[in-house]
Amino acid sequence: MSQISRRQAVAILGALGFGAAAAACAGPGGSTKPGGASGPAAPSTGAVTGRISFAHWRGEDKAVFDELIKRFAAQHGGVEVAQDISTSNDYNAQGLQKVRGAAIGDAFATFRGAQFKNFTEAGIYTDLKDSKAVGNYQKGLLTAGQNGNNQLGLPYQVVFPMPMANVDVFDKAGAEIAPKNWDAFLGMCEKLASAGVIPISWPGGDVGNGGQLFNCMIANNAPVDDMCAQIEQGKLKCTDDWFIKMLNQYKDLKPYVQPNATGTAVEPAQNLFSQGKAAMLATGSYHIAAVRALGAKFPMDLVFPNTTSDGNGKYEGAYNATFILGVNSASKNQATAAAWIDFLSEPENAGYYANQTAQHVSVDKVEYTNPDLKRLSPWLQKKTALAARFQFQNLDVRNAVEASATAVISGTSPEQAAAAAQKIVDERL
Amino acid sequence: MSIHPGTAAKRKAPDSQSSSDAAKVRRRSPTRVNPALYLFPLPAVAVVAFFLVMPTLQAFQYAVTDWNGFSAAFNYVGLDNFIRAFTKDSLFTNALTNNLKFVLLVVVAQTAFSLVLALLLTRNSRGSILLRALFFFPTILSSVSVAFIWKFIYDPNFGLANSVLKTVGVDGGAYLGNDVQALYWVAVTQVWFHSGQMMVVYIAGLQAIPKELYEAAEMDGANKWQRFKSITWPFVAPATSIVVAYTTVQSFKAFDLILGIAGNPPKSALDILSTRIYSTFANSEFGYAAAQSIIFMAMIALVTWLQRRLLRLTPKGE
Repeated sequence: MSQISRRQAVAILGALGFGAAAAACAGPGGSTKPGGASGPAAPSTGAVTGRISFAHWRGEDKAVFDELIKRFAAQHGGVEVAQDISTSNDYNAQGLQKVRGAAIGDAFATFRGAQFKNFTEAGIYTDLKDSKAVGNYQKGLLTAGQNGNNQLGLPYQVVFPMPMANVDVFDKAGAEIAPKNWDAFLGMCEKLASAGVIPISWPGGDVGNGGQLFNCMIANNAPVDDMCAQIEQGKLKCTDDWFIKMLNQYKDLKPYVQPNATGTAVEPAQNLFSQGKAAMLATGSYHIAAVRALGAKFPMDLVFPNTTSDGNGKYEGAYNATFILGVNSASKNQATAAAWIDFLSEPENAGYYANQTAQHVSVDKVEYTNPDLKRLSPWLQKKTALAARFQFQNLDVRNAVEASATAVISGTSPEQAAAAAQKIVDERL
Repeated sequence: MSIHPGTAAKRKAPDSQSSSDAAKVRRRSPTRVNPALYLFPLPAVAVVAFFLVMPTLQAFQYAVTDWNGFSAAFNYVGLDNFIRAFTKDSLFTNALTNNLKFVLLVVVAQTAFSLVLALLLTRNSRGSILLRALFFFPTILSSVSVAFIWKFIYDPNFGLANSVLKTVGVDGGAYLGNDVQALYWVAVTQVWFHSGQMMVVYIAGLQAIPKELYEAAEMDGANKWQRFKSITWPFVAPATSIVVAYTTVQSFKAFDLILGIAGNPPKSALDILSTRIYSTFANSEFGYAAAQSIIFMAMIALVTWLQRRLLRLTPKGE
């Protein structure tokens, strides 16, 4: 073996570095995934065996899914389903990258809106149009998982992002639980305040949960149903009169939320409500189970802050169809993943999930035995608006627009808050 | 002009004996090593190339594209992403301002506080050792735990801070809910978290100062302040250099603490560069996020260099 000088060694190391650089220049992207807007159909037949990963963000539902996995495995000997759970915010931020290569998430769930759109564009979904599962869903609730003629995902949960009410406190204070217009809503808050309770517990320090109230506040104020999409596209502005009017209504709420509400995280807000210190929790029905876990025994209902002056609003509430189930186009075990989605979509299993987690589902013919779900079931028949905040495709825009409401509660004038939000929107047009 | 020993040996090799001598010279030459030795660092070089060099180079490449992070299609946009960051993105400039303010606050407070702690606890008495351990304790906690502890302390409804104030009849505040103050409260947390670690660095520096210097100064009539100014401060300059540099990098990268304490995404009053880059990645703007990462890297390098220049912490020639 011939000897080499230091200079030669440096040259070799340099060449290695150059090689690394060249490798780095291979270009972003690199591969086009199968699937997408007109992706392949998930296999309706095939061996249901082996191990699959189910990726989602509902850590609080883990035990319920574990039980369902047991039942699924009992039906298909040798099948294993592992839950890969991230927190909702992390899932929102990294879900696509994690699921894309199918290292996790043979079956997975997505949020309605920006995340569903990104997963669709990345070609991660298979088409479930011809799957056994799709026939089990209420047709009107499937739109959130559609892209053109393809049914890429199945929105599993129906939640109501509206303030939850402690019915006992309302009765004691003699407050009307279904105010017909904005003045009636404020009158209701006044009665509750006079009774010595905080009318609204609002987690203003938590962007995700604090923003849910926005769905109710904007529903009857906006001139069109796709108002948030139009704000993002520059067709509507935060500085428009209807938006400023909405921010002024947020200002009206300021005396009725807990002191220092903009610094309150979601857990303390839940505690104020579950301990009976606050009459309403301004998040949504998806928190029923959490509030019950904190020891709340009182009956609960939902309250819609009706922002109209005459009570003739288009909507009586707000809902969201989310937790959109899909089968990964890159999965090596699509048959099992599809069978798992079929299994979850059967009324009996969807009913088990719903009753254990206290969340309504989009699956038809489900019998709700959970007392909270039974009580809230009439809301499934009401004229409710599909939660508007999930129309935003750009998270910076969504956060800026919602932050205008938080700014108003913390004392900024509606006009200033609207202008600040519009500035961010304009920069991203 | 220097002649390579190996070359010189070759020139002096008219016969086989001389050739053998020359080979010995070559083997013994301090500038020649067995080539097999060059194979030893290869695994380390490969790891560095794969996990450090390549991603860094890729960041430079992505930074000039509009790649969304998952599509096979992308366009080269030149320096547009860099221009956008400074001229058309108030969220980025806001995060930059917040970050510089946070760095300044934490560097000043943490350096001063850890030096004071070190001065008070330099002696190796039992009490000092116990207190050192106590102050060092937060350092061994995970940043997520620290974030949750302080999130509870700052909670306006059930939190420790307002509960204590309430007992003495004072109305508490919103802390993290107050956009003007929020960054200062997080800075307090960061200082609490890392001061113990920096105190240890200072204690090592202080204990290395010869006692005779203080004795001589005392005999010359120097008071405490004069002794600190003329002996302690110059002698702990290397430790200060480490503390300042480390604190700067730590404060720039307080990502997990901010995310834990303020949620994801943090509101704009608490958005710093690392959280803004994360939000941009999450928003499927990989090209733009890569450009922000490069600006971030440059910013840390610039601030660290400026600090060293301004504080004159590195003596000439070192």
